[in-house]
This record gives sequence, C-alpha cells and structure tokens, in this order.
Amino acid sequence: MGEGGGRKLPAMIILDAILQGILMGLLFALVALGLTIIFGVMDIVNFAHGEFLMIGMYAAYWTSLLLHVDPLVTLPASAVVGMLLGLASYYWLVKYLIRGPMIAQLFGTFGLMLFLRYLAQFLFGTDYRIIQKGLLVGKSLSLGPFILDWTKLSTAVLSLLAFLLVYYLLHRTKLGKALRATALNKEAAAYMGIRTDRMNAFAWMIGGGTVGIAGGLLVNFWYVYPTVGLLFLMIAFASVAMGGFGSIKGAFFAGIIIGMIEMLFPVFGHLIGWDFLGPQFKFTVVYFAYFIIVVLRPQGLFGWKR
Amino acid sequence: METLKDAFDFSDFSRIERIILVLFSIFLLVFPWLGFGSFVKTVMIYFLLFSLFGMGWNTIGGYGGQVELGKAQYVGIGAYTVALLMVWWRIPFWVSMPIGVLIAIGYSFIIGYPLFRLKGHYFAIATICTSLVLQDIFINWKLVGAAKGIELPIRDHPDFLYMQFKSDTYYFYFIMALFYAALFYMNWFRKSRLGYQLRMIKDDEEAAESLGIDARWCKIKAYSIASAFVAVGGGFLAVYNLYIDPYSVMDLDLSIKIALMAMLGGAASMWGPIIGAAFLIPLDRFLGSWLGAQKGLIGVDFMIYAAMIMAVSAYQPRGIWGIIEQFRKRGA
Repeated sequence: MGEGGGRKLPAMIILDAILQGILMGLLFALVALGLTIIFGVMDIVNFAHGEFLMIGMYAAYWTSLLLHVDPLVTLPASAVVGMLLGLASYYWLVKYLIRGPMIAQLFGTFGLMLFLRYLAQFLFGTDYRIIQKGLLVGKSLSLGPFILDWTKLSTAVLSLLAFLLVYYLLHRTKLGKALRATALNKEAAAYMGIRTDRMNAFAWMIGGGTVGIAGGLLVNFWYVYPTVGLLFLMIAFASVAMGGFGSIKGAFFAGIIIGMIEMLFPVFGHLIGWDFLGPQFKFTVVYFAYFIIVVLRPQGLFGWKR
Repeated sequence: METLKDAFDFSDFSRIERIILVLFSIFLLVFPWLGFGSFVKTVMIYFLLFSLFGMGWNTIGGYGGQVELGKAQYVGIGAYTVALLMVWWRIPFWVSMPIGVLIAIGYSFIIGYPLFRLKGHYFAIATICTSLVLQDIFINWKLVGAAKGIELPIRDHPDFLYMQFKSDTYYFYFIMALFYAALFYMNWFRKSRLGYQLRMIKDDEEAAESLGIDARWCKIKAYSIASAFVAVGGGFLAVYNLYIDPYSVMDLDLSIKIALMAMLGGAASMWGPIIGAAFLIPLDRFLGSWLGAQKGLIGVDFMIYAAMIMAVSAYQPRGIWGIIEQFRKRGA
C-alpha cells in the first residue's frame, strides 16, 4: 500500500491502492463465487464457506511442503480437497438440513463451520503457517512507480481464470444450464427431467472446488490458521450481498469493489488526516458496507432473483 | 394487577412440569450448602447466566422466529457500562447496571430500526455484522482499554453496593434472583399481547400485517427486550469476573452460544433455553477442563459440541424440548 515508497503524490497512492484492491478483489470474487452458486441453487447460506477456504489453504500448504513442489502446482490438490469437502457436506449434512426450517439450516452449517475449524486446530495446532519457499514467493514486479508482489499478481490472474472457467461451465455447457435452471425454478427443472438432488450436490462440489482453489492461492501470501475463515466468510457475505444473492456476475464485480474499499479506506483516512481510521478498520468497513447495502438495496447491485 | 398475576400463574403447564419446577427451585435454593467445590459452583453460575441470556434471546429468536446472531454486542454494552462507570467515577453496580440496560435498549432501537427491514438470511448475517463492527471499534478504542480490556478495581472488603464478594455463594444467589425475575417475566411475556403478536408474525407475517399488526415495530420491541435481558447478564459478568475485554464479552462465539442454547433446548418454549443451557454449559465446561487439560486433545471438546449441533439441526430442529414433546404425544 501507500507506505514504503517514501514521498508520493496522493493521486499515485490512490491509484496504487486501487490496483492492489483489484488484485485482492479478484480473489475475493473467487471466494464469493462458491457461496453465491450454493445460495442461488439451494437458498441456503453456507456458514462453513470460510472453513472450506481454510481447508483449501492447509491442503496447498501441506502438499507443497510434503511433496516439495512449488505452491502453484498444488492448486489441483486444493481443488480436489475442496470438491470432496463440498460433496461430503452435501451428502452427509445439508441433504438432511434442507427438510427443516431456515434456523436449522443456519445452525447446521454453523455446526459444520465449528467442526472443521476445531478439526483443523486438532490436526494442525494453532500455529500461523505460510508458504515460504516457492518460485514467486517474496519477489515483486516494479511497473514504474507501482510495486506488485508476484504472488498477488499470479493469484489475481489465476483467480480470474478460474472464475471465467466456472462462468463458461455454467453458461455454455449442458450441465451448467441444468444447474442454472434448478436455481431459477426447482419444480420446473424437476419436470424437465433434471435431477435436482444431483444438481444440489453439483453446486456444493463447484462451490467447494472454487473456494478450495482460492485457498490454495491465498496461502502464498496469507497466513493460515484454524480461525482464518471467519474474516473471509464475512467478506464473501458482503460481496454476495452487494452483487445480489445468487448472482454470479454480481459476485465478480462486488468482489472487486470490496477489494478496492478494503485498500482505499486506510489511504482515505490517511489523506484526510484522520489516522484513527487506519488499516485496523479496513475489514470493519466491509461489515459496515454489508449492513448498508442490504438495508438500502436488498436485491444487490445486480439483483437477480426476487 | 391482572398482568402481575399472569407472571406467577403456571397453571397451563402440565403437572409434571410444575413439580419439576418446584423441585428444581428447591435444589437451587439449597445448592450452595450441598458442599460442591468451586468448579461446580462456577458451572452453576454460568448455567443460570446463560439461561438468562437464552430466555432473552427467546423473545425475538424463539417467539419472534428471527434468527438473531448478534447478542454479544449487548453483553458487551452491559459489561462495559458497569466496568467503565466504576473505573471512571466509582459508580456502584446498582446504578451502572440500569444505565447499561438503558443504553442497550436505546442502541437496540437505533440498530433495530434499519435491521428489521431485512428478513431471513440477510437479517441473520446483518446481526453478525453489527456485532463485529462494535467489537472492532472496542478493540481499537484506547479510551475503553482497547484490546487489553478493563480490570475492575477490587474493593478492600466485600461490598454489596459494588457487588464484590469473597464467596461465589453470594454471586450464585444474585444470579439466581435475576434468573427467577427473567423466568417470571417470560411467563408473563408468552401470554402477553406482544407474545401472541410475535407468534402470529412467525407463522405468517403477511396475515399478521393484514390483521393490523405492525410487524416491524413488534420485532423491534422484542429485540430491545432481548437486548435488555442480555445487558443485565453482561453487567453481572463484569462484576463476577472483575475483568472484561472485547474478546470475552463481544465475541461472535458468544452470540452463537446464546442462540444455540435456546435452539438446542427448544426455541419458542418456556423451558427450552433453560434445558439448552443445562445441557451445554456443563458439557462445555467439563469437556473443556477434562479434554483441554490432556495434551494433544485441544479442540476435541468443540468438535463434539459441533457434531451435536449438526445432529440436532438435521434430525430435530425443534431441539430437546421437541424430542420430549414427541415422546409425550406418543405416550398419550
């Protein structure tokens, strides 16, 4: 962010923050993607989503550490772990939850969240871990006055790729179309011969897989510890609410906007001389933004259903 | 007078329930003299405290059917008011606690007004957000001790005005009094106009509105009642622990625990929150001290806890009380 470069023009600081924000935002968008797909198809909010991310991070961390491979190669491992986690959650828990009232669904996925969090704590302890060796770790790219970390840059590009791939899958393939049909109208989709149970499972698989990839990317420059998920869960909630629950396009743009808010806010506080609005509040602003958005515009910026 | 009588009228409960209530009351009265150790006493105090929290949550979350997951911010408001007023101006507990409750009620109206435009998932997540925002502010606010928290000055000798005692027995009887006040209030509440209106809103909000019930206003009222209950408990927590920080009194885990206890016991029932607390608090404490002490088993207690949450949500969303009622119907 703004620090490190000595004396900089305010415009440059802001531009730098926007750039960093977009890089972070592309990852946020990928995290939010899974949440919004699951919500769109099943009308269920997955509180364990942040924990899926955490498991994805651990998966990438341990594969890269134990197999001595570059962290970027471990992405398939994170994706597979995420997909399996999503499928297991659906078949062992969520399938039973959807028969109950909304409060039971909320607490059910919340229980899953606690379970995964403390399972991770039990297995890996509370240490903060990060990938320290790798092709790109610690290296940065200077583009004129801007300095970009290679890890963040590659994360952003790969996030974008993953997002586009899923977007293509959902909009161009038969399977994806069936999924979207289920999201639009469950009964009608069932009459057309779409097996909605399978589609639900598919949504959880895609949701888990994408967030697993996001975790694998994130661990390159973010510490992983058992409770890391909550922050990203809230960011994903804010992105999904901003984009409109269930909207895929919305999640993409909202993720980027949230990324920029998170980076611009401390810069803004610094520039107007209110230093108490420092980086310690950058995520508070995200929570606050969620509150304002859902109160003022419940359908989100790209309202899709209802 | 009529309403006052309602609070003490338990005649619409079955005979067994009333007998159990009387036996339970006798047990509570003599409990400190049964010779249990301090650990068990602490567990009992926390059980009563969380029953109080749960009963408060039950107004909005159970009878009103709103998934409210931000109660910790009101625990924090209650606790911080008591602690700060004592540290700054030596104001006794009996003055600062009502002030804390008033602040909590005022704050709940301010938050509740925009909050209850929302429904369902949107509402649930928004309540978490408001709580997290307040926690972040307190973590960074130097004036109120920031992340370090506040220590309450200890009086030289036991002092009733400041609620500082040497023995847990006094705290036990005090929280027991609060517990019974809450119990009688809830007994009145479920038969009150607002109680019926809330249940109607829960069943069918549109039908309730078409009958002239202002759903949003009802929910806001219930929300502030719940907040007041929780703020009382928060004030007690401050004088009982003599130390508070934003992580212990405002954490999301606390909000969840409060809602969870009521739901596990059985939301929208008189005994649900008490059963839930009676079940989870000892489990939490004993598992924590038993498994937590064993090296390498850290977190297993929470895993068991989480597995139970998942099982109850999946198989009996109406909680333990739902299971009991199921058996009863089969028996009858």
